[in-house]
Amino acid sequence: MSTPAAGRATGRGLPPRRSRFDALDALRRYGIAVVFLALVTTMLIASPQFRTQGNFLNLLQQNAIIGILACGMTFAIILGGFGLSVGANAALCSVVAAKVMIEVDIGLGVAVALLAGVVVGLVNGLLIAYVGVNPFVSTLGTMTVIRGLVYVYTNATPLFGVDFSFTRVGLGRSLGVPNPFWIFLGVALVLGSLLSLTRFGHHIYAIGGNTVAARQMGIDIRRMRLVVYMLIGVCAAASGIILVGQPATGQPATGQPAGALGYELTAIAAVIIGGATLAASGDGHHPRRGRCDR
Amino acid sequence: MMTGSVSPLPPEQPLLQATAISKHFGAVVALDDVSITLFPGEIAGLVGDNGAGKSTLIKILSGVQSADRGTISLDGTPVHFASPSDARSAGVETVYQDLALAGNMTIWANIFLGRERFMGPERLQLLDKRRMAREAREMLERLGLNVPPIESTVASLSGGQRQAIATARAAAWGTKVIILDEPTAALGVAETQVVEEVIAGLRDKGFGILMISHNLQQIDRLTDRIWVLRRGHMVDHCRRADTDLEEIVSVITGAAGAFSASQSA
Repeated sequence: MSTPAAGRATGRGLPPRRSRFDALDALRRYGIAVVFLALVTTMLIASPQFRTQGNFLNLLQQNAIIGILACGMTFAIILGGFGLSVGANAALCSVVAAKVMIEVDIGLGVAVALLAGVVVGLVNGLLIAYVGVNPFVSTLGTMTVIRGLVYVYTNATPLFGVDFSFTRVGLGRSLGVPNPFWIFLGVALVLGSLLSLTRFGHHIYAIGGNTVAARQMGIDIRRMRLVVYMLIGVCAAASGIILVGQPATGQPATGQPAGALGYELTAIAAVIIGGATLAASGDGHHPRRGRCDR
Repeated sequence: MMTGSVSPLPPEQPLLQATAISKHFGAVVALDDVSITLFPGEIAGLVGDNGAGKSTLIKILSGVQSADRGTISLDGTPVHFASPSDARSAGVETVYQDLALAGNMTIWANIFLGRERFMGPERLQLLDKRRMAREAREMLERLGLNVPPIESTVASLSGGQRQAIATARAAAWGTKVIILDEPTAALGVAETQVVEEVIAGLRDKGFGILMISHNLQQIDRLTDRIWVLRRGHMVDHCRRADTDLEEIVSVITGAAGAFSASQSA
């Protein structure tokens, strides 16, 4: 055949696409770290209070809960979803944990709270993956319902009476570092590895990058979504349990119906600043929806 | 005037044979008693006007939709594709127009999407990234494709490079049939040529290739046999050597009832 396309592929490459956006890309990806370091440096120089050890430990302790919520939220956002109910879920788990701890036993309280968090995640997951409700709408809905239930059940007052020793979880330190930070570190390491090292994580990136492609390649999208929302529920429960051990000054460990209010938005902000994107998914042209480089 | 008698199909065993396929969407008849045959080492072009039923036919052949009636056989064995996975595991790979690539992932991750390689304990499903990257690079080299680093994200590739990756993925996993839906519709001239070379290379490797294209020059350049759908009917088929562009157009539009090569019987 003498047509131009006849014969074997010749090994001639396709022209490489211009990479003039590389500098911009690097700025996008690492700019936030530079800004962070600059901010910390400025504060170190400017404020004597900032550079105290107490302040740093305080920061680690206070932000651990947000950090844990953000770990779960990262999964939701890479997947192309949303998790507005995590703050309410944390408050629910805090109240449930405190109630069971007061009535029965601390260990059982932790277990029941984790279960409650997973059930909320299951409800979100079923609504989103199987009923087809938009993730924003459904988690906004569960957020409102959960907050309402928690306020009604507790009359909006904290549940006092958890054994004082449980404040170790929220306020104690190990090796000089606040315990909530260790929990956050553990959650971050486990979930980070799950995301970048396993098939599960790769499939989450694939669904977020191009849902149609993921389906065509045989990924069970509904099951994946369900599992991710349950995982987010576990993170919310962990935050709620820490909340019990982080009462207002001088009080014993407490179930906090008003705890974690608005944390969902802070967690989402943390995830976005960390590099994931909220851009619409579907056509596979969003390199920055949790870019999966490695 | 169904299938021609003077441009007979080769005597050898067909790779893929769909017989008397019908598909209705409500009252709309998308395909009515359509048959098509594909042989190893040939590129078959599927042409027809918009709404003729081309997409429906390839969706049925690739397991995306199921036919109301009719049979499909692969290598002489009847098959039933309930899902795209069924078709893929039987050796039929399809490259859709949307290419089914995740832009946020690397080239190798896309090639291995849904077919990941693991290392360590099986239960952990830990990705063997190095192995997948190496194997993906080898796959592309075997096809003679010189693409950017295997670690680049697909979103950083040009349209032609994406099409080449999607086609290469189909070739890497497919064992028998590759179905291509408008493989060059979105590409420029140079990119089209490279993709056409890839397709021709796959034919030389013995794949049976079924290709939808609106570009009749391309059909004329690339295919060995042309199948024409019109309003849900397979009007005719013809060896490319026995016809020309003008005649193809008139058969598509209905100005001619069939190819003269088959009418002269």
